[in-house]
Amino acid sequence: MKYGKIYVEDVKVGDDLPLLVKGPLAQIQLTRYAGASGDFNPIHQDDEFARAAGMGGVFAHGMLSMAFVAQALTDWAGAGTVRKLGVRFAGLVRLKDTVTCRGRVLAKTSKDDTHEIEVEVWAENQKGEKVVTGRATLRVPSRG
Amino acid sequence: MATALRKDVIGKEYPPYAVTVERGKIKEFARAVGDLNPFYLDDAVGRASPWGDIIAPPTFAISFRDESADTSALLRDLGTDISRVLHGEQEFELHRPLQPGQTYLCRAKVLDVYEKTGKSGPMAFVVRETAVTDGANEIVAVLRHVTVVRL
Repeated sequence: MKYGKIYVEDVKVGDDLPLLVKGPLAQIQLTRYAGASGDFNPIHQDDEFARAAGMGGVFAHGMLSMAFVAQALTDWAGAGTVRKLGVRFAGLVRLKDTVTCRGRVLAKTSKDDTHEIEVEVWAENQKGEKVVTGRATLRVPSRG
Repeated sequence: MATALRKDVIGKEYPPYAVTVERGKIKEFARAVGDLNPFYLDDAVGRASPWGDIIAPPTFAISFRDESADTSALLRDLGTDISRVLHGEQEFELHRPLQPGQTYLCRAKVLDVYEKTGKSGPMAFVVRETAVTDGANEIVAVLRHVTVVRL
């Protein structure tokens, strides 16, 4: 099985990445993510705690949404291609929300045998509100 | 009632800690995200890959923590508690994928603490960096975290 799913030659500046739709989010996924990541902040598990903290109820780990964005990148370009991923958590993701991850190619650079693609990435909820915004650098193979 | 955050943690370096990546934890993480990429989950695909084994998803290193340390140490150093904390920004610089059976050394430090007043009131931003190196002391990943504290 090939890890790289795209070649640098196939990518054009301005290309849209395929959408990745995740959710609707259930509490069990936040609980599983807490176990997998070790982030047991009760604000993601315990509605009463989250309300008392002034957050209006449970919300998802930002890192879960970031992992969704990472999946959108690797579903497109292949596993092991992400060299850099930086995001800002722009809005809270709530239970039952759907998270749609999107991206657009900003630039391509090739130097010797190293080919990198710069991508703008973001995720939005079912109301179209951005919950994650960021940028990524992917290293992909060449057909050459 | 706004309470200032302690700024004397700027520049503080926490004791380095080692993390050995377990195969099952990589798979548990990928499944929790719902990312069923065979390069994370299928040992045979991993063996035949350029890395010779499965690899971890890009954000897996967020699970690295110092199990021997008091996990509230930073919050206490800052003078806040977990109910006031939100994740503001996160960045991963990945030099190569993390793999099972490897032991990595993590070095975390506080780069900056600054305050700003936003729509929802006064907030402090805590910027941290964690450098992850391998057994040969080569850099494998750098994580930059911005934590927002509601004051």
